[in-house]
Amino acid sequence: MLVALPAHAQPMAPPVLAAELSARRIEVTTAFTGGEILVFGATERLIGSPEMAGSDQVLVLATGPDRPLVVREKVQSLGIWMNGPSARFNRVPAYWAIAGTGRVAELLSPDERADLRLGLDLLPLVQLGARGAQFRPALVELKQKAGLWVDEAVPVQVSGGRLFHARLPVPSTVVTGEYRVQVLLVRAGRVVARQELRLDVVRSGTAAWIADIARGMPVLYGLACIVLAAFAGWLGSVLFRRG
Amino acid sequence: MQVYLPIAEMSVDALLLLGIGFGVGWLSGLFGVGGGFLLTPILILIGIPSAVAVGSGANQTLGASVSGLMAQWRRGNVDFRMGAVLVVGGFLGSLVGVQLFAWLRRAGQVDLAVALFYVVVLGTVGALMVRESVTAILRRRRARPARLHEHLWAHGLPLKIRFRKSRLYISVLPPLLIGFAIGLLSAVMGVGGGFMLVPAMIYLLGMPTAVVIGTSLFQVVFVTANVTFLQAIQVGSVDIVLTLLLLTGGVVGAQFGAAMGTKLRGEEMRALLGALVLSVALALLWDLLREPTALFTIGPVP
Repeated sequence: MLVALPAHAQPMAPPVLAAELSARRIEVTTAFTGGEILVFGATERLIGSPEMAGSDQVLVLATGPDRPLVVREKVQSLGIWMNGPSARFNRVPAYWAIAGTGRVAELLSPDERADLRLGLDLLPLVQLGARGAQFRPALVELKQKAGLWVDEAVPVQVSGGRLFHARLPVPSTVVTGEYRVQVLLVRAGRVVARQELRLDVVRSGTAAWIADIARGMPVLYGLACIVLAAFAGWLGSVLFRRG
Repeated sequence: MQVYLPIAEMSVDALLLLGIGFGVGWLSGLFGVGGGFLLTPILILIGIPSAVAVGSGANQTLGASVSGLMAQWRRGNVDFRMGAVLVVGGFLGSLVGVQLFAWLRRAGQVDLAVALFYVVVLGTVGALMVRESVTAILRRRRARPARLHEHLWAHGLPLKIRFRKSRLYISVLPPLLIGFAIGLLSAVMGVGGGFMLVPAMIYLLGMPTAVVIGTSLFQVVFVTANVTFLQAIQVGSVDIVLTLLLLTGGVVGAQFGAAMGTKLRGEEMRALLGALVLSVALALLWDLLREPTALFTIGPVP
């Protein structure tokens, strides 16, 4: 297996794969309505159509920080729908997106795909609490519906044979933290080179400031909420008093 | 225009929030209540997490009640001694209520508990209000004079205190208990509790109508302040951006509602308010009984 060698090792040969992100930071401000991760790059050899045997292909995988989650199932009890059994998953990627120049299952051999866990069905999710096979598919479905898990919904687009780019959508509910974007070069069903890029999703501006104070200084924040609401109520009644 | 709510961690249309604030403010100005009992369910309906809807709803009710309290204060319509007793009960009640809320959150049953509280409390209060006001309207037609001074069961209990402004000499226990109950409901439901407190003061304590509104606002302001504070430090669910947007719409709406409210008669107004309370309860009950669209929910580990 070839790897993307640093330039100084082979000064004459260009790297087989070079990729970059349009931005290394996504800033979540009070006006944030969602964004995208734009990955772009170039390959040394031509990127062929997925049907062409032996041609180069590109896969992009983005993952967010792991978070514990609880999946609850609603059950009917005494005629009322309420939360029933719940399963806990300790390490769930808050964001997960995959895109390729073709279908991932067709580009990679099944073994390679399983080794690298390139698929929603291959994520290592350990279920605690309630048993039952229904919780994992429910989690996958809800995450996809929320736009937080993007399973080949967008393609990696190729221009000029060697330039590629992918726009992975990021919803407004995105979790802050450190994200990893992996760009994989696939040849004959195997990953032959990879490049890993880091992306930070940070709260910024007023939203960050408010969330930090609410978490770090809850007593001060609680008092501030009381004073601000009381002041706003008083000010509003003075400004909008009719007659 | 989308705005990101830092505590709810989601973005919502700011105009929608202003509109909801205006509508609820208009109704609260019309009926002279805080409107928290309408606001919290509507917020949950548009997808705000229950905990944030309750915490921010209490905070909004605080802001919406402040100007009313100041106006009543200036007119001398606040019985401070009665208010203080209610607030002491309310503080204890909200303290217990927030513990209960945090426990329900850990058990994963906040949504159900909030909905059930709403159905039971609003259903009961709404039905009582409709019945009482319809009887009053019918009685008015027959024009039978009411008794001058009613002697209630509350007058027989120990620890009597004189409430001069309310012209009452009653035990301190009933107002303490009423304050406690309202404080508890305030913490779990995110309401000020004015719509329950006002009838309780008139029918259970026998307070004169003139001081009822001012004194209940006094209790509501202090108890919602306490709930805001406790929810902020224990549950971390008060979203100040959400609160301020709702308040902005609310204070404008309240002025229009109040101007319109002067044109309606007391009994008709109570009947309308009762019908409104009752319909919110029925809508929430329907929500509990029908099969949910999503059988599974995901949430953070509490």
